Amino acid sequence: MMGVEPLSPVGLWPAVARLLRLQFRIFVSGLRRSGLRGKLGAAAITVLMLSVAGFILAMSVGLLHLLQSPGLRAAFPEIGPLLARVPGVVVALGFFAILGTSFGVSLQSLYLAEDMDFLLSAPIPIRAVFVAKLLQAILPNLALVALGALPLLVGLGVSSGYSLLYYPLAALMLVGAALAAGGLGSLLVMAVVRIFPARRVAEVLGATVAVVSVVCSQSGQFARPGTIGQRQVSTALRLLASLDVPWSPLAWPGRALAGVGEGRWLAGAGFGLLALGAAGLTFWVALASAERLYYSGWARMQSSPRRRSVARAPRRVSARAAAVPAARFLPRAVAAIVAKDWAVLRRDLRNLSQLITPLILGVVYAAMLLRTGGLPAGEEGDAPAWLLQGLRGAMGYANIGIALFVGWTMLQRLGALGFSHEGRNYWLVKSAPVSAGQLLAAKFLAAYLPSLAISWGFVGMLALVQRSWGTAWFSLPVVAFCLAGADGVCLAFGVAGARMDWEDPRQMLSFSSGCLSALVSGVVLGTGIGLFALPQVVLGLLGLPPVVGQLAGLAVGGAFCVACAIVAPWLVRGRVTRLGES
Amino acid sequence: MPTTPLIELQHLVKRYGDKTAVDDVTLEVRAGEIFGFLGPNGAGKTTTIRVVVGLLQPTSGTVRVGGYDVQTQPLQAKAICGYVPDQPNLYAKLTARELLRFVGDLYGVKRSQVERRIEELLRLFDLTAAGDDTIDSYSHGMKQKTALAAALMHDPRVLVLDEPTVGLDPKSARLFKDILRQMADRGAAVFLSTHILEIAEHMCDRIGIIDRGRLIAVGTMEELRALGKGERSLEDIFLSLTGGAEYAEIAEVLR
Repeated sequence: MMGVEPLSPVGLWPAVARLLRLQFRIFVSGLRRSGLRGKLGAAAITVLMLSVAGFILAMSVGLLHLLQSPGLRAAFPEIGPLLARVPGVVVALGFFAILGTSFGVSLQSLYLAEDMDFLLSAPIPIRAVFVAKLLQAILPNLALVALGALPLLVGLGVSSGYSLLYYPLAALMLVGAALAAGGLGSLLVMAVVRIFPARRVAEVLGATVAVVSVVCSQSGQFARPGTIGQRQVSTALRLLASLDVPWSPLAWPGRALAGVGEGRWLAGAGFGLLALGAAGLTFWVALASAERLYYSGWARMQSSPRRRSVARAPRRVSARAAAVPAARFLPRAVAAIVAKDWAVLRRDLRNLSQLITPLILGVVYAAMLLRTGGLPAGEEGDAPAWLLQGLRGAMGYANIGIALFVGWTMLQRLGALGFSHEGRNYWLVKSAPVSAGQLLAAKFLAAYLPSLAISWGFVGMLALVQRSWGTAWFSLPVVAFCLAGADGVCLAFGVAGARMDWEDPRQMLSFSSGCLSALVSGVVLGTGIGLFALPQVVLGLLGLPPVVGQLAGLAVGGAFCVACAIVAPWLVRGRVTRLGES
Repeated sequence: MPTTPLIELQHLVKRYGDKTAVDDVTLEVRAGEIFGFLGPNGAGKTTTIRVVVGLLQPTSGTVRVGGYDVQTQPLQAKAICGYVPDQPNLYAKLTARELLRFVGDLYGVKRSQVERRIEELLRLFDLTAAGDDTIDSYSHGMKQKTALAAALMHDPRVLVLDEPTVGLDPKSARLFKDILRQMADRGAAVFLSTHILEIAEHMCDRIGIIDRGRLIAVGTMEELRALGKGERSLEDIFLSLTGGAEYAEIAEVLR
């Protein structure tokens, strides 16, 4: 046998340090290996984040100074207690932010990274693996939260003249909240993965985050700041006050910070010890439980029997496609690929989240359009009548614009990524007796038909609400032609930049092809709309009826769009047969 | 004795930049024959196979499948060919039943036969119960069996398999071997690469050995034995032809 001396046991913290150092090396190595673009991107993001932190600090100091001015305090006596509650609110928000984000990171590091077996079989304490994993889940999120929260807390301290001890304690409270949140997050992950497969959870999580992000980002469009009154402010303040109760662990950090900052040492120290003790205990319990649950196999064994991802009844994908009247006119292989693509897209939640985004945006913009009643937002003022009339006319085309925006956004996903979405499965189609033309036709239709259906849905819905059926007959073919042209361009760039060996869906398409696809298809849409509208203007000036102009517009714009839809894919047809060969 | 060549490679060369993956390979596989394709890792087996099934464009040389040139008549060549890759990458979000139906549509299997064929194949591979589960819930072996079922969906005259028995349990591996033998007995040409020399020795009618892109030996077991220096087993012949210096190095490290 080999005469290798057994290794001396490694202590807990040296082992944790080794594991964290390994992660750091992986990070640095990834950064080193990334191209110039990646390095510049990382540098730009760092500068941007530091700038945001600096901005928050400057704004906090300025705003809080203003709020503490004697005049304002005399006018609004609630300001004093409100400011004292800011640290508690900030730490509590940080806790929930880290709890939310650490769920995804814990899921990745405990279940999806697939290095747990390797690490657990190494001659290091098992606890070190879990400490490192939890810290791995917490540290990046803590850094992000601290980037926003610390400047705010420091700004409050500066503007309120808090004692020096307040500043390190603020950082300590954030760390405590992060440890507790990260620990609870890991337990939550184990409980969820006990019921659902980890990859499915990751898909649902990604889709939920994407949808919630879009909804939150767009919800501001509906806000009417002018309608916020004293009553709403008072309600918000009462809600804050009701959360700040001495028995709530979430209130302890805030009370500790306010106490230490204002020189109420006993209260500050008491709540500080309580907060840190609770955070430490939560982390330790979570750590010990996670270790025990994982090592015993509980967390790795799903409690429910293997779930069927689709309905038990056999799904007749191709039969259903054949039932669509248009599918009967398609070659069988083309209809099969279209039906397959739709089935795969529908069942992968990552795709759904990308497709829901344009729908949400479309609904938001349509609602805004309807709210303004077809007129530009704001007061009419002294604007001349001809300008208002012109704007009303232009807003009539907003229906087409919204419908095209939704369709164009969907095409960026369905059209540009149609081929690369096949990924490593492309061998199945490529080794089958299917020509490049059939493949292009299938991918074109798989992207075009749903985009067109949704866009037409928007046109119809807006026409119904606005009762403007007169323009709908023109809008529908315009949208159909424009989307066909844009789809052809997206498909062509999708073929040109397709990557079939991707692991990360964000790397499906080369960066330049993705940009060019969006840019050129946008230009095609703009040019198409211009060609549809131009004959109307010209023939209108010649005194011809509007319908003649619209028909001429359909002929000119339609020819342009159809040419784009055919020529662009035709140019890349040779590359289709070479995809996946690298 | 089988005579009709269903796979013909003539002076096949495939280069990736400066690297020559396949270097002037000429061979043929006849109807009713199981041809084993052996070679060390990185010898060019998978590249050759990918050229045969039309997934890779050759740098030079010709490949004919069923008499059709894979370059100039790809659709005809692909229509009679079934392929099982080394990694069973299948659409994770389709069920096995949907995948087989999709393949049936791609290969133009008669509509009236598609459903019957699917049920036959699912039953044959013991996948009936899992037939409506999405493939992402399958084990490696189940995926491998689904890939073979897909390759058999259109009853191909030529079957090309890249490491088909990797990751299969003994029962499934036996099933694979029986199916390949039956296919050959019915007049199909079976071209398979494998690292398991026992399979090649007992299953294959003829064997080709490729090393560093070059076909260094081809023939029946008896013909290969005649080529060697008195070795009897295929393992000894293979190591003798492809070199075994690395094993001495391993022994040195483990000593």
